Amino acid sequence: MKIGKTLAAVLAMLLSAALIHAGGSSETGTVTIWHSNSGAVGNAFEEIIDEFNRTIGKENGITVESIYQGAANDVLTKVKATANADISSLPDIAQLDATAALDMMNSDYLILPDELGLDTSMIMPSAIESLMSERGLLALPFNASSLLFYYNRTLFDSLSLAPPETLDDFTAIAPLLGEKDSSGRITRYAFAGVPATYELCAFIGAQNGLSYLVDEENGHLGTPRRVLFGEEGTFRNFLVHWKALCDTGYVSNITNDISTEFAAGRTATMLASSSNLSTVMSKVGGRFEVGTAFVPKTDSAATGGVNIGGGAMFAFSEREDVKTVLGYLVSEEVQLEWAEKTGYMPVNTGLYDSPEYIAFLDSHPQFAVAMAQTEASNPKVTGAWLPSAYQLYYSFQTEIRNVTEKGKDIDEAVADMEAAVQKALDDYAAQNLNQH
Amino acid sequence: MKRGNEATNSHFPKAYYYLQRNYTLQCLKIAFIMVTLPSDMDRRELKAYAFLLPSILLAAVFAFYPLARSIIGSFLTVSQSGRILGIAGLGNYISLLHDPAFISSIGNTVAFTIPFLLLNTSITLLAAALTRKETRGTSIAESIFIAPLAFSLSALALIFRGIFRGSVSIASRITGLDIAWLEEPVSAMAVLVLMGVFLDFALDYILLLSSFRSIDRSILEAAEIDGASGSRIFLSIELPAAASMLHTTIFIALKDAVLISAPVMVLTGGGPFRSTETVMYYYYLEAFRSGNRAVGTTIATLMVLSSAVIMSLVMRRRRNG
Repeated sequence: MKIGKTLAAVLAMLLSAALIHAGGSSETGTVTIWHSNSGAVGNAFEEIIDEFNRTIGKENGITVESIYQGAANDVLTKVKATANADISSLPDIAQLDATAALDMMNSDYLILPDELGLDTSMIMPSAIESLMSERGLLALPFNASSLLFYYNRTLFDSLSLAPPETLDDFTAIAPLLGEKDSSGRITRYAFAGVPATYELCAFIGAQNGLSYLVDEENGHLGTPRRVLFGEEGTFRNFLVHWKALCDTGYVSNITNDISTEFAAGRTATMLASSSNLSTVMSKVGGRFEVGTAFVPKTDSAATGGVNIGGGAMFAFSEREDVKTVLGYLVSEEVQLEWAEKTGYMPVNTGLYDSPEYIAFLDSHPQFAVAMAQTEASNPKVTGAWLPSAYQLYYSFQTEIRNVTEKGKDIDEAVADMEAAVQKALDDYAAQNLNQH
Repeated sequence: MKRGNEATNSHFPKAYYYLQRNYTLQCLKIAFIMVTLPSDMDRRELKAYAFLLPSILLAAVFAFYPLARSIIGSFLTVSQSGRILGIAGLGNYISLLHDPAFISSIGNTVAFTIPFLLLNTSITLLAAALTRKETRGTSIAESIFIAPLAFSLSALALIFRGIFRGSVSIASRITGLDIAWLEEPVSAMAVLVLMGVFLDFALDYILLLSSFRSIDRSILEAAEIDGASGSRIFLSIELPAAASMLHTTIFIALKDAVLISAPVMVLTGGGPFRSTETVMYYYYLEAFRSGNRAVGTTIATLMVLSSAVIMSLVMRRRRNG
């Protein structure tokens, strides 16, 4: 009887000890990274992490544990949920994108690269600019990309066409790019996709040399309070030109699997991130030559270029080993391997005159376009840091479709979109600003 | 992501379930018994309450407490990190009801619920009716019909995505239609309804089938001897006997339809153009993705209220026959 009781007590203690242990976060020596890289990009990332664990990590007694947590927006959802529930369960590092910037800027658990004492002098200036906030640099740029115009080069060459420089040029050639069968059904579109926040940051941002969607320089100088794309007429201007393109009848308003349609030859062009380049090329698999070009301008006055997108490493831990891992991730060797395998632009400027990188760009001219486009862009053209980013993404698509497909009045669509963004800004300000 | 969503989804039906069974009163009664112990209580009654205690505690912790907090939270302004910033009064409700995205999410939920209820009820009833007589072949049909129970929701949604992906999809090949199923609001909703039916089919089928099979055989045999035709027996004896179970399956389907969110999340993500964004998915986006806690609690409160109203209406109808 007595033995039974003692046994029970010991068991209970063991069980509770196990529970406590399971709840505890990473011990020193283990650096946890939550990331959003899947497919070919995910494989490249895993190889980079494995390489670290085999070499530098082994020498310094550091093990990196990388955990895929879904798309960048899913990682953000999980980071925020974890921070609310139990801050000690946060990973040491999370790879997030621009949709996270506003929340991270206003969070009290983020450790800035400056606070970690990281050297960022060799990081690409426009990538730094894309993450610069009122608090300073928010995170370490790791996977920098930009919007890119992908086109079926074989088709363009056969028609002796060059990629369009403006949306008006595009409207002019769209009927040539499209194709109908004998029954009048469209078998090839000139363009597939519906612009959302990401594309609009470029289409609106480039107008008049530099424009913002919202105030505080798209939220980088502080929490945005006011919508600008309505009163400045930039969204309206975009819609006018975009509607003209859609009115040719050769634009397919699809929102998923656009690169599959592109690879199947069912659309002549598309807009996508430069980070998709290697995936798109392997999907096309040599059926035709893939060309990349600068994103068409809304009009000839839209000279601002594109913003840097992609992601960065946000740190939630001040430990020395976290700093070592981050330093490794932006080193020349890693960034070269990363760029070659994915299509991301290397963020380490030390690479730009490295013979190896130059040789790679010479043999893969499609990869050079994103870099050239970024160099030709105004670095102040930045991504918009908006609250409720996920909902607004779909709202932009809905309004654009309302105009191009359902004949909604452009001014009405602009007003509705302005109201939707303004509501998101107001809600966010009410919930977050009087805390400071 | 998913875990949080399901946990919050499921406390609504539970909450009114317990309310319905007057658990609050029971709680008070137990508290009273505890205070008046050990005087002249009936020991057997006490024992019964002791057995009830664990479930009452669970209900209190996982249903009543969150429900009360949600209701209170819906009248406050709350920060992303959960700090109370002030009293909003009816502000959260007013702003929610003025949000076109919320209004259209109600429309989308209705657009899902009506065809789903009709299809789900008629298909499951048809399947159960056709296989209600146990013969050698029916066990094969039964196992096929029950099979969807074994599928995980997310896996199934991914399979549906694969089948209906793009305009060069398996579904287009089979039907011979040139439709990009998940790219058009109407067809995307149709796929969602189809998947909803697939998810609910097995359980409803089992319930209806067991109801048909539990009918006293002697009644059916008596009718047969009296010369009643098969369809007459079905319409006048079997269907009325299964009516109460049919009500139950319709009710479960209604609950599933109104609270649908996980299939939306995996299959369409609310798209295209927010056309399949249901109320509960909108709730998930606001509360979990955007961290708008006040919006989350406001929707939660509205959902519990409307569920309670629907529930009591259905209950009253059932009581009145």
